Amino acid sequence: MTLPFTSADWWAVAPVSVVAVAALLVLVADIFSGRREQRYLSVFIALGGLIVAGVVAGRQFGHNYNAFFGGFLAGGFATVFQEIVLIAAAGSVILYAAMGPVARVAGSIAIMLWSACGAMLMAGAANLIMIFLGLELLSLGLYALCATDDRTSSRESALKYLILSSTATAFLLFGAALLFGATGSVQLADLANPSQVSNPLFWSGAGMFLIGLVFKLSLVPFHTWTPDVFEGAPLPVTAFMSVATKAATIAVFARFIYAAVPASVQERLLLPVWIVAGISMIAGNVGMLAQRNLKRLLGYSGIAQVGYILVALAGGTPLGLRYALYYLTAYALMNLGAFAVAAAISRDAEEGAHLHTYQGLARQHPWLAAAMTILLLALAGLPPTAGFLGKILILASSVSAGFVWLAALLIVGTAISLYAYAQVIRAMYAAAKGQPSQARPFVPLACVSAGICAAAVVVMTFYPLTPSNVLPLAH
Amino acid sequence: MLVLVTILLPLAAGAMLFALPREDRSVTRTVGVAVAVVVVVTLVLAGTSEWSFRWLSRPFQAAFHFGATPTSFWIALLLTMVSACAIAASRVARLRDFVALMLLLEGTMLGLFLARDLLLFALFWDLMLVPVFFGLAGWGEHPATAWRYFIYNFAGGLTLLLATAAFGVIYGSTDVIGRAVTPLVGAWAPWIYAGFAFAFLVKTPVWPLHTWMPPTYSGLPPPMVAVVSAVQSKAGLYGFLAIGLALLPHAVHDYATPLMALGAVSLLYGAVIALVQNDSKRIVAYSSLSHLGLVAIAIGSGNALALRGALVYIIAHGLFSAALFLLLGYVEEREDTRLLARLGGIGWKNPKLAGALCIAALAALGLPGLAGFAGELLVLIGVYQAGYVWPVIVALVAIVLASAYLLRLYQDLMNGPEEADVPVRSDLNWYEALTVAPLLAALVIVGVYPAALWHR
Repeated sequence: MTLPFTSADWWAVAPVSVVAVAALLVLVADIFSGRREQRYLSVFIALGGLIVAGVVAGRQFGHNYNAFFGGFLAGGFATVFQEIVLIAAAGSVILYAAMGPVARVAGSIAIMLWSACGAMLMAGAANLIMIFLGLELLSLGLYALCATDDRTSSRESALKYLILSSTATAFLLFGAALLFGATGSVQLADLANPSQVSNPLFWSGAGMFLIGLVFKLSLVPFHTWTPDVFEGAPLPVTAFMSVATKAATIAVFARFIYAAVPASVQERLLLPVWIVAGISMIAGNVGMLAQRNLKRLLGYSGIAQVGYILVALAGGTPLGLRYALYYLTAYALMNLGAFAVAAAISRDAEEGAHLHTYQGLARQHPWLAAAMTILLLALAGLPPTAGFLGKILILASSVSAGFVWLAALLIVGTAISLYAYAQVIRAMYAAAKGQPSQARPFVPLACVSAGICAAAVVVMTFYPLTPSNVLPLAH
Repeated sequence: MLVLVTILLPLAAGAMLFALPREDRSVTRTVGVAVAVVVVVTLVLAGTSEWSFRWLSRPFQAAFHFGATPTSFWIALLLTMVSACAIAASRVARLRDFVALMLLLEGTMLGLFLARDLLLFALFWDLMLVPVFFGLAGWGEHPATAWRYFIYNFAGGLTLLLATAAFGVIYGSTDVIGRAVTPLVGAWAPWIYAGFAFAFLVKTPVWPLHTWMPPTYSGLPPPMVAVVSAVQSKAGLYGFLAIGLALLPHAVHDYATPLMALGAVSLLYGAVIALVQNDSKRIVAYSSLSHLGLVAIAIGSGNALALRGALVYIIAHGLFSAALFLLLGYVEEREDTRLLARLGGIGWKNPKLAGALCIAALAALGLPGLAGFAGELLVLIGVYQAGYVWPVIVALVAIVLASAYLLRLYQDLMNGPEEADVPVRSDLNWYEALTVAPLLAALVIVGVYPAALWHR
């Protein structure tokens, strides 16, 4: 039997394949490695694979190619999101150098890489089946990863994530089925048909599809699972979830609203999403105020940050998408950097999550504290960081698209968020109570990661890379 | 290029000071003062030259564009001068970190005043809060003050950001400060102005947005509060001059009455509260609220003479409030308290300290021949010329009150019976005198020849 695919089809998914193969290599190498180098070996093989995949994906930039009969679109849009997912995976894999029981490192890394494959498929998915395939590949890995810790909260988190995420997927799948019923096609491109405007099947299908996505993006009112799952999951998994899942889901969301929604219904269909984004910016930031756990804090912060990114997409302008990508990249770096700092000062059970762990950090590790300060100020949108420039770009695009009320909500949310982020900064610069947190053997790698993220966040202010060529075509 | 050096030098020096050994106090201070003096020189040499580098081309044009305008040059010169004096006067614990913060504060504020791009202005607006925040957190009397300062001013910074974004989108470029541009008109102009004005009014501050200010000013160490009250509080007024009046003149004109009313209320309110304060730093803090209300009135009037007076008064207030805070710092250092009730008669044993404080206080209450008078007079004449009588009457009342509280400050500290329970230490030595002498000299020069400020 010959497959009806050409070599160009395989080339289109080459970055995904590289990551998948790297995961296999991690597992194989783990069998043959001694106990001492096990952890490093897995991390370095994974990082190598991710870098190769990044280079391969980078070569596809600007060459749009429609692979697998319109199921997967390689090129500008997919490339940028894939690179963000790869950065997220690299930033999370590095954390395994600092933490987690040695015996489980290789397995966890392999599963994480396969999850990343799912996210990368979502970035390029151009039909409903591919979207579902990518989403499931991503989620299945994460259910397992959430449970890799011995804590009860880790298993609780896995179960919670499994149930709620499946619910979201059910919505998404049902919506996809209705959309197929309405149009007779699974291609996103075929959905953008003006004749669908009066079809109730299309409306209910698109609505349920969007609910599924909003669930995955953990926007209000579907956000309550996020802090709990983030708190329970192991730190690297939390880092991965907070960036890769959101990036991949935003990719699907952006492609859906830019390419699959008929222009005539866009305003009416998407208005609820923008309202939800506006509420999320307020609710996420208010929720942060009471948190005493860094993972929960960043969980709530992620709810608000995704809201900011959606504000950029409101209006559906090409420029808005570029700014959303800029902010998403910045958000990825800020979050990964913050988690890297947490990993660098982690002790086994606490995982650097409790805010009191940060007390007196500025005295013991001034550079680490400085990096964390930059990353948190960036999340709050203070200059000179990418958070500042990203916010102004988002404000500009939403104002020019006529969504002034969203811009105003963004301002209010940001004002609230500063206090929450600054709590961590205050803890770091306050005098230490109790015994100082000890450093652990493989900390340098996490410190390097935090430093790179902090530096990148600052540099991005001065070189505002907003790639053109990223319009999410559907065919 | 020199203008870029002027901004980057204090920033780089401030960052690098952290590499110096912590214990070496005299080296730290020498490096700090040397850098601050060099910055004065480079600023003067740079003059109004410009430096520009492209930043954004979408969604609006923006550039890293620095360069002094005739207005901002004088404020920047004031800033560099006050910074040099204040760094020289720094004698706090953890001196290395403090001097580093002072240099960072100077650099960020130079960036703000020399920025020719609105987006750059907004960037430095937020950035200059950070050194003060760490100053309050590390050396302040109460940590809550740092939060109040930061949150208040950050909220202002956010409305500034939104207004900047809206301006950029509508106008197509933010590279507009100090340029002869066509003013922005239309339905959005008042809203954009409102965003700017909120930020400026919080920063100045005016009543009722001033509640962060008295605890901030009394909590900061004297050298830092000298810089903050002398120059950072002028950022808002400079914003009104360089952004409000230049880019949105119609909006400023349409909403002149509320602005002047807020200024007038601040003028009276600050003066009345200053009359009954017991904490000497708080007297100067409230006097600052009062004095800057006068500048708000001048800006609201829009009269050319009043605006010249506003610039003179901005410089004058910077000079005398910096001198007052530095001198009160010396008093506090000697007597371990700054409460009027516990102090008195210091002047008998410390004639130099008393003399310096006397000059600064007289400048603040508007004695002819000193800078404060020149500014006040020009503002009052200008506002009257513009046809506003009631603000002039309010201002005159406030000026009388200013005499009362400043003389009360001076007399309670320097005259009267010596308080026996506080130790009396030595008078100002030559080094301490040198830290305030330039400020007092400048007060006299500007007082005698204020026209220098607009003949450049």
